[in-house]
Amino acid sequence: SIRADAMRWFGFGFNAFQQIQASKNSENSGLDADKTRLSSPTELRGHVNKDGGYFELTQIRASWSRRAFLHLDEILFKVFALFFLNFLAAVSLPLVPGGYIASKSPFFHSLSPHMQAKSLALGGDHVILLTAAGAVYTWGQGSHGQLGHGALLSEEEPRTVEALWGMKMSSVSAGGWHSVCISDAGDLYVWGWNESGQLGLPSQNLRKISERKAHQQGELSQNSSTYQEEVFISIQAFPALLDVTPLCEVKAVGCGSRHTAAVTTSGDLYTWGWGGYGQLGHQSFSSLDEPQRVEFFRVQQLRVVGVECGPWNTFAAVTKEEGLAPEHPTKPLNKHGE
Amino acid sequence: MTSLWSKISCALPTDEEQFPLQFSDKVEPSVVEILKRCRKQLYGNAAGASLNLNAQIVLDVSWERLNTGTWRHVDKEWRRVYSYGCLFKVAALCRENPSQEEVLQAVRTCDMGLLMGAAIMDDILQALVHILQNEIGRTSKEEEKSVEVVAKKLKTESPRSPSIREDKAVPRIKCPSLESFSTNYLLPLKPVILEGIIDHWPALNNHPWSIEYLRSVAGFRTVPVEVGSRYTDEDWSQTLLTVNQFIDSFILNEVSQDGGKSRGYLAQHQLFDQIPELKEDIRIPDYCCLGEGDEDDITINAWFGPAGTVSPLHQDPQQNFLAQVVGSKYIRLYSPDDTDKLYPHQSQLLHNTSQVEVENPDAELFPEFSKAPYLECVLEPGDVLFIPVKHWHYVRSLALARPIIASNLSWRGSTKQDKGIIKAYKSSAAQLMRSHINNLHVELSDKENLQKEDLHTFKEIRNKNFRLLCSLLFKATTQK
Repeated sequence: SIRADAMRWFGFGFNAFQQIQASKNSENSGLDADKTRLSSPTELRGHVNKDGGYFELTQIRASWSRRAFLHLDEILFKVFALFFLNFLAAVSLPLVPGGYIASKSPFFHSLSPHMQAKSLALGGDHVILLTAAGAVYTWGQGSHGQLGHGALLSEEEPRTVEALWGMKMSSVSAGGWHSVCISDAGDLYVWGWNESGQLGLPSQNLRKISERKAHQQGELSQNSSTYQEEVFISIQAFPALLDVTPLCEVKAVGCGSRHTAAVTTSGDLYTWGWGGYGQLGHQSFSSLDEPQRVEFFRVQQLRVVGVECGPWNTFAAVTKEEGLAPEHPTKPLNKHGE
Repeated sequence: MTSLWSKISCALPTDEEQFPLQFSDKVEPSVVEILKRCRKQLYGNAAGASLNLNAQIVLDVSWERLNTGTWRHVDKEWRRVYSYGCLFKVAALCRENPSQEEVLQAVRTCDMGLLMGAAIMDDILQALVHILQNEIGRTSKEEEKSVEVVAKKLKTESPRSPSIREDKAVPRIKCPSLESFSTNYLLPLKPVILEGIIDHWPALNNHPWSIEYLRSVAGFRTVPVEVGSRYTDEDWSQTLLTVNQFIDSFILNEVSQDGGKSRGYLAQHQLFDQIPELKEDIRIPDYCCLGEGDEDDITINAWFGPAGTVSPLHQDPQQNFLAQVVGSKYIRLYSPDDTDKLYPHQSQLLHNTSQVEVENPDAELFPEFSKAPYLECVLEPGDVLFIPVKHWHYVRSLALARPIIASNLSWRGSTKQDKGIIKAYKSSAAQLMRSHINNLHVELSDKENLQKEDLHTFKEIRNKNFRLLCSLLFKATTQK
């Protein structure tokens, strides 16, 4: 039988390779257009153990066309509890003893033991590292501000993100051209490219797109006068604080190629950025430059406990929430949403 | 009467087997898989929606690769993939009775492939855009309404048309022999204006370049435009517009939407590769053959902008001929020997650009500048200025009731550089800010004792202080 607090996974976004949901169509020539991208959270099947129950604990890793589960067997857990916990700590890829593994040759990169690396995230062309002391280092391509050092230059060696110096960070994540980290206190810092609103800051691209849509649908924009008042951010070259929600703190965060997903201490999932493949989970294909809660999990009374992003999709780990009443959305739909 | 789709079909291979999809292993098999799905859907009976979506997948994934790393290092294979994406997208748009809007979108898609992709299947995108342009016809402008055009007369302000001092004038010579040009100017690297050598250009004769002519030949084509007074400004940016939009927004009507003055410049763009019809109107001067490279090393750029556009004082790593076609330009030249008096930017991005505003230099910041010897000229239609390699040059378009069109031919390749910079610096004030923020952090972590309103206030203060800290560190304007 399935344990009440068992962890389940839901995915949404790019599905052209059936990495979220398999196609019922047996033909190999490709999916129906509406299954290539899933804009609503869909439960992942296939991670049941031989007794028909869900695996106790799983991790997910996703590439552009693949999705992998990392299972940990229930029996093993009971017997080797101590070893198990150590194993979990060791699975902090891409960090490995002495360095980290990149996704293109040369694969192994060494890291100085002085860094005391606790976790590391690989972006499209940059790297972000978190030390045991809570300091953040970045290096790699800097042309889109993704290193957070205030300039658009690249760095060959790890360099500390000075704006965050003295504030303890607890986790880091990297997208295609942006970087995100969470402080000890549960605040979210973002920097890098904001061309699709992936930083949660006002994006001029999105405003232009929504204006063009409104124009085509015959709605004249009454707000053209506010155009000059808003400050648009295209590149944020040093960290900015992002208020995901005023109500609670951020617990975990994941970055796709051009979108971001955050889990709050209240068990909600917020997403923003590029939505062209449904990777924001709001049942639309619009992009957003403001964090918006994924209502699906509230409605289903599911508590989001973890998140992992592929380049164009998002995977949320959930458990059943006891006694949580479904609420109405607290925020009106974003002006860029449908 | 043949339909648009049948004309496009003729340009495509007859069937799936004839359609090549060969890539090096730089392109992952999963991407090739999507391309194969596109090909299958192109020749099959699948509804347009699937082909459109799969084409978009190809465009999105290759676009991401094109924006990874530096442009110079982008593998050509990914640019080919991008072009294939454009090809499939055009097919999806035009297959089923496309509307005028869809045809324009298809033209734009071809242009994106020509600008960012690499030639595929015998430059098929060039062939397709030709077919599409004929379909649109030359008079329809209904769809080009995305920018509000306020009907205005052409600006007739007369700015300072500088008088040229004789002792500082760039020498002029009429139709010199190749040998005398080489001996007297090319080899000793001396600037000179060549007169009479482009009189035969169709652009100056039977196909005179004018706004109307450019609209008719290339009105719906998408081109890169630089927005902002000069590329060293912080609010300088690049955007993509059709030639019609560019002319409407920046040539005929120089007032931008927010009421401020904004300059748009079609600058340093290989327009003639993108729009071969315009290439017919110019000829490569024989003098270009005197260079060390061969003909493939010659790049031809076009410059098209309103009066007042300025190119800040800078140098290029190749020899240049600047041919003036319409309108006139004021140009000043400094020798590379005097670089130390020209205060180039220190940064890697802008080290070939001077910090000095040539026509309004800050004598306090740049005291040596006034001592640097220079040559100057006003370049008129029909003139060709030879700018020797690494010679510093400053260009200002002069206001006439006409836009300025010039072509510059240069060889040994030119590099386009990113132009944006934020400076960082430390100060003891930053240290103070840090300890202030940390104290607030300590207060905030003791949440149980805080009321909800206090918590909110603390967060506000902490956020504001963090932004102040960043503005101290990075001397940039803070966000709201």
